[in-house]
Amino acid sequence: MTKVFLFDFNRCNGCHNCQIACKDEHCEQDWSPYAAAQPLTGQFWCKVNEYERGQVPWTRVAYEPVLCGHCAEAPCMDAAALAGRPEAVYRRQDGLVIIDPQAAHGLVGLAESCPVSAIYYNSERDLPQKCTGCAHLLDAGWTEPRCTDACPTEALRFVDEDDARLGDAEVLEALEDHAPKLYYLNRPKRFIAGTLVDIAADEVVIGAKVELLDQSGNVVLVTESDELGDFRFDQVDKAVHTVRALGKDFVADVSACDLSLGDIDIAA
Amino acid sequence: MKVENSSVADQSVIKSLGWLGFGGTCNTARVDSKDGRIVRIRPLHYDERYTSEELNEWCIEKDGKQFKAGMKSLLPPLSLAYKTRTYSPNRVPYPLIRSDWDPNGKRNPQNRGKSKYRRISWDQATDIIASEIKRIHDAYGPFSVYCQGEGHGEAKNYNGAHGCQTVMLFEAGGCTVQARQPDSWEGWYWGAKHMWGMEPVGVNGQCTNVIPDITKNGDAVLFWGCDPETTPWGWGGLQPSRICYWFNEVGIKSIFICPDVNYAAAVHADRWVPVLPNTDAALQLGIAHVWLTEGSYDKDYLETHAIGFDWFESYVLGGIDGVVKTPSWAAEKCGIPSYRIKALARYWASHNVSIAHCNGGGYIRSAFSHEPARLEVALLAMQAIGHPGRHQFRFIEWNVFGEPPVPPSESYTTMANAYNGFNFNLGDSFITKTKLHHAILDKRADWWGCTLCMAPRQDQFVPHQYPLTPQTHPIHMIWSDTPCFSTCWNGGFLYEDAMRDESIEFILVQHPWMENDTLFADIILPIATLLECYDLGNENMNGQYGMIYIEDAACEPVGEATGDHQAVCEIARKLERYGGVYQGLLERYTGGMGQEEKLRYGYEHSGAPHDLSYDQLREQGFWASPIKQGWETDPAGMINFYEDPESFPLQSPTGKIEFYSTTLAEKFPEDKIRAPYPQWIEETDEHHERIGTDRAREYPFLLVSNHPRWRVHAEHDDMPWTREIKTCKVVGPDGYAYEPVWIHPSDARQYGIVSGDVVKLFNERGTVLGGAYVTERIMPGALYQDHGARVDFIRSGFGGLDRGGANNLIAPDNTTSPNVAGEVTNGFLVGLDKADVFALAEQHPQQFSRPYDPAVGLIAQAYIEGDE
Repeated sequence: MTKVFLFDFNRCNGCHNCQIACKDEHCEQDWSPYAAAQPLTGQFWCKVNEYERGQVPWTRVAYEPVLCGHCAEAPCMDAAALAGRPEAVYRRQDGLVIIDPQAAHGLVGLAESCPVSAIYYNSERDLPQKCTGCAHLLDAGWTEPRCTDACPTEALRFVDEDDARLGDAEVLEALEDHAPKLYYLNRPKRFIAGTLVDIAADEVVIGAKVELLDQSGNVVLVTESDELGDFRFDQVDKAVHTVRALGKDFVADVSACDLSLGDIDIAA
Repeated sequence: MKVENSSVADQSVIKSLGWLGFGGTCNTARVDSKDGRIVRIRPLHYDERYTSEELNEWCIEKDGKQFKAGMKSLLPPLSLAYKTRTYSPNRVPYPLIRSDWDPNGKRNPQNRGKSKYRRISWDQATDIIASEIKRIHDAYGPFSVYCQGEGHGEAKNYNGAHGCQTVMLFEAGGCTVQARQPDSWEGWYWGAKHMWGMEPVGVNGQCTNVIPDITKNGDAVLFWGCDPETTPWGWGGLQPSRICYWFNEVGIKSIFICPDVNYAAAVHADRWVPVLPNTDAALQLGIAHVWLTEGSYDKDYLETHAIGFDWFESYVLGGIDGVVKTPSWAAEKCGIPSYRIKALARYWASHNVSIAHCNGGGYIRSAFSHEPARLEVALLAMQAIGHPGRHQFRFIEWNVFGEPPVPPSESYTTMANAYNGFNFNLGDSFITKTKLHHAILDKRADWWGCTLCMAPRQDQFVPHQYPLTPQTHPIHMIWSDTPCFSTCWNGGFLYEDAMRDESIEFILVQHPWMENDTLFADIILPIATLLECYDLGNENMNGQYGMIYIEDAACEPVGEATGDHQAVCEIARKLERYGGVYQGLLERYTGGMGQEEKLRYGYEHSGAPHDLSYDQLREQGFWASPIKQGWETDPAGMINFYEDPESFPLQSPTGKIEFYSTTLAEKFPEDKIRAPYPQWIEETDEHHERIGTDRAREYPFLLVSNHPRWRVHAEHDDMPWTREIKTCKVVGPDGYAYEPVWIHPSDARQYGIVSGDVVKLFNERGTVLGGAYVTERIMPGALYQDHGARVDFIRSGFGGLDRGGANNLIAPDNTTSPNVAGEVTNGFLVGLDKADVFALAEQHPQQFSRPYDPAVGLIAQAYIEGDE
């Protein structure tokens, strides 16, 4: 059974274990013919991106590992073929896409071909390099690569291609046309949060209906301020919205980032 | 163990890669080697040997969801990357002697921290060390040798890094021991214990089944200055992370009360309530005021479970000092609007709310930390702690201090009999660590209590002084295996002055790395990291299963390194030459046991199953204890005290929660700062660290300096793979990796600071540099810089300048309060400004041109003559 990588944004604590375990395996360690050694620093075959979201007091952080998608329609394989060296990148029976560390020597174009920059060019070795899915370990009897083995929260998993959870998962936008084996669950959209306050009374406002309207004026979400006066809309589309509470409207532009509306004085 | 498939490894051993020390370990890992070199560090999969059924894996359930113990170890990245620490270019390669320190001539103490080192042999080094010990013993007596040996360091047992020299010197007439105070939980120890006992930490240790009970009966957890995604990494691993996800999954509201969006708040918080550093006491009093005026607290519980509540009630309502502690009063001090304080208080009073800690965060190590600690106990008592769903618990040091909050194993093992480090024997002469600089510079110091973290409450009423008697000579030699005072304790720059005091004739450091206080030594001995050592290891703190295993060496010693214990043995062997008190010293020190014998003896007395021999254990790799049968029915948290306080009294003098401490009133009747009842302390003669004080005009920010995310205190700062992470270091325009300083955008704008700038944090005690990290993760008015960064001094000593960002250097040197010898290393005032690193480099060309590897930072060769 072909395996795929499945990442769940709702389970990632940002420990970077995946990134570090990958480095522990590949930096300054040669696993030829699977992969030559990665430089000690500066390259990330499994790279955790970090996104700060919102503003005080509604700040969160999202983490997103990006690694080779081992695409079924791999642009790097096309690039190798185009360069007249199709043998430089090959697909194994288990679906893993491998850059041959000998045959790919000097092929700068491979690094440039990857839509998500998962291929790094090792200028010391004159070699494009990337995630091998730890094929050398799988061939030695391991059931999963280092990154997923090191994940303590099951945020990043190596699962069967028919795993039911994949139904709700997405792939990276830039890889949509390439059938990658790298899936993401619960990718954050935007949130809008705030607190309803009656400043004159020096009290938060509890149990007030709060509506979220889209640009056409349609109510898309409804909630109630909670016991701390707080309301929060999650997984909101990246657009300009209106928050309506107690007969007042507030512009909530989340096209560029998540938004804290802060403490809203409903009497003002 | 040999590995069959030699293409990816030819040896695999089990190692505990935690940083507790003191004869107990954690973070169990498999370490694979190939051709004599470590190739990978990875989780241990328990199903290598056991099934889930055999281990009776625990499972907590709610609404059809399940949370299980897990079947692999939950390592932090600090463990996974640890081979880079073993192979660091910053290792002490061989014994070194300071080039201008001549034991037979000029010793130049003023040059410590400035002069370089040259190579000597082990034989030469141990000759000099033995002769210096002998000389000092003869001239001044044994108490003039000061031993700095305690818990900051690797977790090794036979090769214990922590205080093994004390054990040897006690066999040779004694020494003066550094008494490490409860630095991780000052406030609980000095404050909360006087309300409710809870020995030895002062925080609730009755945590059995707390996580299952919160799952069933709880509504919310207040993470008060608590970061379960950081602090437990060195002392147990990542089960706390999985617990937090469980709370998220089953709808337990996670409310974070802290100045910063710490790493747990960043992913788990349903609500972040930003509070200015060390103003929690004001918030707590504001909450108490709401409950008192609205009658929303458990009066019946207080009648039967507490004493002295009337004192507290009177204080809150203004009856004692004329100040009513209203939410508006609190708001001005703590930065939380009064309407939110009221809403939070009402939410708390109407739900089952618990408080979680990872020892206590900033407020437990700030000025007057006994006050917020006691106020927390007061609030918990007002809401009937022990009631189902209402607890106080910690995510850390499970089984070390108190019961784990998740189901326990049937049995746990101890390493005490294989351990060679500090045995908690202080002898007659000791100095509390927080007063060491003053003791050296003033030649005297006094304080209350032995201050060891395990000492009971009553010990705090015993006075001590240094020197031991008026006739006792002061200390003239320091022998350290824990050279990290300046970046981990109070008043670090002043400590550097003490290290250069004329009275200190000889400083010996034994350590694996050329870092921090190592650079003040006269002789440095190279010590092996735990990956290089043969040892016995166990695991008690993971929130999964108790384990024991033999730790074979994963690689040969690097350079001329040897284990800490072996280094001390070599010195003992040399001392024997002098006869007399030194005769047979090695034999007396080791009990006549070699390594193999000691490890086997330690194993036999470890509590491991009697029918499992040492050799069988080696054969099978590890032994794990199953989870206790019937754990489900064990009483949760403090339910026994809740239901029957007379039969299940606390360890306070009255057995109840003492809002008015009977013993503090009796023993310290004049103490207005740690009074018998908890209160808000604005400032004192010792500490002017509030935003309302005059000093705040020059130093307007309150600094948060948490336990570091990418280090364990001073350790790990040279690991190349963590240093690449965005929140670990900020690379300045000069290519140097600076310790990040979190600045809110509104504050950064005022100073024209943008991310990537190099900034100064300063006060009258000195300046440290940092890399600006402009972020919404810190509230306005506060700055955040992790503590423990590696010192890289440009000017050392009081008023100095440090490039590394080791902010303990500019922390107050005064202790918590006059009768309390705790450290104050958080929540103090600093100024902020942009730094021009190129101008600084011109002023200090030598300091700015030290050999530097961008991947790891400073390297050992920076300090070794002729080796650049």
